[in-house]
Amino acid sequence: MITLWHYLAVAAALFGIGLVGFLTRRNMITMFLCAEMMFQGVAINFVAFARYHGNLQGQVFVLFIIAVAACEAGIALALFLMLYRRGKSLDASTWQSLRETGVPPAVDTEPLEIEVKVEDEHLAPAGVRPKHIPTEEEAARV
Amino acid sequence: MNLFALTPMQESAGQIALAAVLAIAGFGFLLPQPRGRRVAPGIAALIAAAGVFVAWLYSTFGQPMPDIIGTVLFCFFSVGALGFGSVLVAQVNPGRGAIAFAFVILSTCGLFLLLAAPFLMAATIIIYAGAIIVTFLFVLMLSHAGGPSDENNRSREPWLGSLAGFAFVGLVLFSLYLSHGGPDSASAAESLKTTQRLPAQVLTADERNTLLAAVEKLDTVETQLAGDNVPSANKNRVAEDFEGIHDQIGTVVGSTTLSRDGSVLTRLEKVPMRPGEKLSPLRTDQQAKTVIRDTLEIRKLNEEAFKDLSNNLLDDKTKKSLPTVKAEYHKLREELVLLAGVGQLPARNVGNLGYILYADHLLAVELAGTLLLVATIGAIAIAQRKGAVA
Repeated sequence: MITLWHYLAVAAALFGIGLVGFLTRRNMITMFLCAEMMFQGVAINFVAFARYHGNLQGQVFVLFIIAVAACEAGIALALFLMLYRRGKSLDASTWQSLRETGVPPAVDTEPLEIEVKVEDEHLAPAGVRPKHIPTEEEAARV
Repeated sequence: MNLFALTPMQESAGQIALAAVLAIAGFGFLLPQPRGRRVAPGIAALIAAAGVFVAWLYSTFGQPMPDIIGTVLFCFFSVGALGFGSVLVAQVNPGRGAIAFAFVILSTCGLFLLLAAPFLMAATIIIYAGAIIVTFLFVLMLSHAGGPSDENNRSREPWLGSLAGFAFVGLVLFSLYLSHGGPDSASAAESLKTTQRLPAQVLTADERNTLLAAVEKLDTVETQLAGDNVPSANKNRVAEDFEGIHDQIGTVVGSTTLSRDGSVLTRLEKVPMRPGEKLSPLRTDQQAKTVIRDTLEIRKLNEEAFKDLSNNLLDDKTKKSLPTVKAEYHKLREELVLLAGVGQLPARNVGNLGYILYADHLLAVELAGTLLLVATIGAIAIAQRKGAVA
């Protein structure tokens, strides 16, 4: 028999995974999704307690959680759009100048691996101008 | 010192700590890093953490499983939620993360359905379907195509972040263990088991059946009370029938004339050691308190109705008229049906949610509406481009 405690444990684990994602990831969209996942963990708690006590108060709470999550989504996505226009990046660390005074800035020491694209020398992909631009002599010879 | 002579509490704490450490290692390996992440050991550690977590759940709260389908569905949905949640956290590509989040939402909705919340399931799916599509749009619009980038391929302190998150989860789980019955509760846990079911058990199935049977019998016997007077030939039979019902209700709610406690009160309330001593409830939650109050009410109604009926039949001087007695029995019947249904969620989920929302939480509904309005205005104000060409 699945008891209340099973649901509470699963909800705690879901909340924890969301918390880890929110603390470690730097893409603002992923951070936002992780925060939503933490909301879901709390919602499971409320619904499980509603079932346990045999009344609907917990489900009403979850309705309010959904309303607040919708507000948060609207504000957060508008904020991302504005920050992206200013910083040209979704990286939350772009805005680390907002940090507390006296805290050293986080510096990325390790370089990112840059994928080197090997382009076909003979065939240019459609729509892209070939790198080798014919000189006037060559053009005249054709 | 014997290392294996651990108390159940130490054993449980050890299991939780092991699961937390494995999960920290898993996410430490899996979170994106510029030097490349180590996928195989990370996934192995996460699976091991999940295994230890399930073993701990089973050894602490697990019981023989009479409800196979419910258990299987619960496992399916919770594994789905936790698994896709891990994918969302560890995924480099935010678009794939959004898809994983959609599956987290679907799994959570399955859990809602198992918990008898169909309206919340529908509402969550509808609202989050929109939210996920908008998120998708943002990912497509804002992320740079191709090549590693700072925001996707770097993590902020992966090891410390996982440590913070899973230390928190470990503490929550340990407090769950403590609240579940305490460290030394082999016998106490057994007695608690019945109260831990979903929904919490205030009435046993036997008591519920007894009450409903009494209601049914009341309905059939009541026809004999038609008219203003019971024919004298029938009086004995009617009195016997009603005495039977009186006793049947009395076994559940107790009876003052027979001076005994009903089964509900002995289960929910401590029996007073000395006469006149105040009763102290064994269970102090709101539901048990309501049930105790209703039980005492029904006991009083039952006694009164039966006394009035006997007086009427015996042609006592102080007798009440038959319609009055019938009205008393009607009231008793309604209260019995209400008591028998305690602890069950109403079948009309949406209607009752709406009723509670607008009867008990009207101010909160208004505030939530205002909040949504303010959020809309705020979103427009934030996102508008200053000095943009119209």
